[in-house]
Amino acid sequence: MRFSHNLLSVGLIVLLASFAVPAQRKSRTARRAKPAPAKVSVEAINTDALKVLIAKPKDKPLLVSFWATWCDPCRDEFPDLVKIDKDYRPQSLDFVTISLDEVADIKTSVPAFLSQMKATMPAYLLDVKDPEPAINAVDPRWQGDLPATFLYNAKGEIIYKHVGRVNTVELREAIEKLIKN
Amino acid sequence: MKTRNVSILLAAILVIVGAVVAGSGRSSSEIPAPPAIGATIDEFTLPDVDGHDRAFKSLKGKNGTVLIFIAVQCPVSNAYNERMEKLAEDYQAKGVAVIGINANASDDAATVKAHAATKGLKFPILKDPANKLADKLGASKTPEAYFIDGNNKLLYHGRIDNSQNPDAIESNDLRQAIDSALGGKPIEKPEAKAFGCSIKRA
Repeated sequence: MRFSHNLLSVGLIVLLASFAVPAQRKSRTARRAKPAPAKVSVEAINTDALKVLIAKPKDKPLLVSFWATWCDPCRDEFPDLVKIDKDYRPQSLDFVTISLDEVADIKTSVPAFLSQMKATMPAYLLDVKDPEPAINAVDPRWQGDLPATFLYNAKGEIIYKHVGRVNTVELREAIEKLIKN
Repeated sequence: MKTRNVSILLAAILVIVGAVVAGSGRSSSEIPAPPAIGATIDEFTLPDVDGHDRAFKSLKGKNGTVLIFIAVQCPVSNAYNERMEKLAEDYQAKGVAVIGINANASDDAATVKAHAATKGLKFPILKDPANKLADKLGASKTPEAYFIDGNNKLLYHGRIDNSQNPDAIESNDLRQAIDSALGGKPIEKPEAKAFGCSIKRA
């Protein structure tokens, strides 16, 4: 009885401590001097180039986030994605973002938002008249709902996908599993 | 007794933490696949924006019905407001009804009603509060259209056209599908995709 009580108490402490660690890291980060926002450039990408980007043989896993400035959950999840980029890029993860905004926004609202988010991953904007071939090239089961996150292994196979606001716990688990293998 | 209390507390914390850290989206695999083109769509009843239950059979058109999943705040859905209303007006005389479906948990009935009035949407709009219809049709985003014939057979699923920008429309997929069906011709492209806002499921 006492042993199981102790075990549960230890479990509770470990659980609470696991949430305290990111908070500590955050406060350490906050004490550092803030760098000036990086100048972000966004490159136009068509369907063929997108196919090459996701399917080409890679030496490391690739995370792709499809988003748009008009998409509320996309904007909401962006800080989490920037954090994931910072945490895993040094551990061999490539991460690119693909905006579905209008081409007219490629030098205005899209880089402005990325700059505000301090996002330094390569940024693209899909420049196509018909979005369907691009959606099907990424995943024939995807209907085009945003945001959408796809994690590819080095062979270009989808290992993890999620539509709607990203589930960071699930995504981090999938990345770590891929990096370790 | 104490152990039991701690167990309950720990379980409660795990449930709360799990609910907080889990994202609000659903994996593609969790959203049911849309029915195949040609499948029969079951009759359904959903509340309108005044909370009154409305049966599909009382709203559907003699020659078919377009169900469009729409949203209050989604800029893509809003970009199509005029086009959806025009569609409803153009096809009413041809016996085709347009029904808007709002399945977003974030849009309550009063907000949907006010939004429709502001945007001039005169076609009926139903709320799908438990996402039963969205799940049945595999609807994942707004706007997303389904054209069903007079016998409830699904003839078209997907986008309204290829571009949010009315000046860049090159493929009027939904209208072409309806026109083909009304003319007794096969529908050349019964499915077409575009980007949209994910439905905020309950």
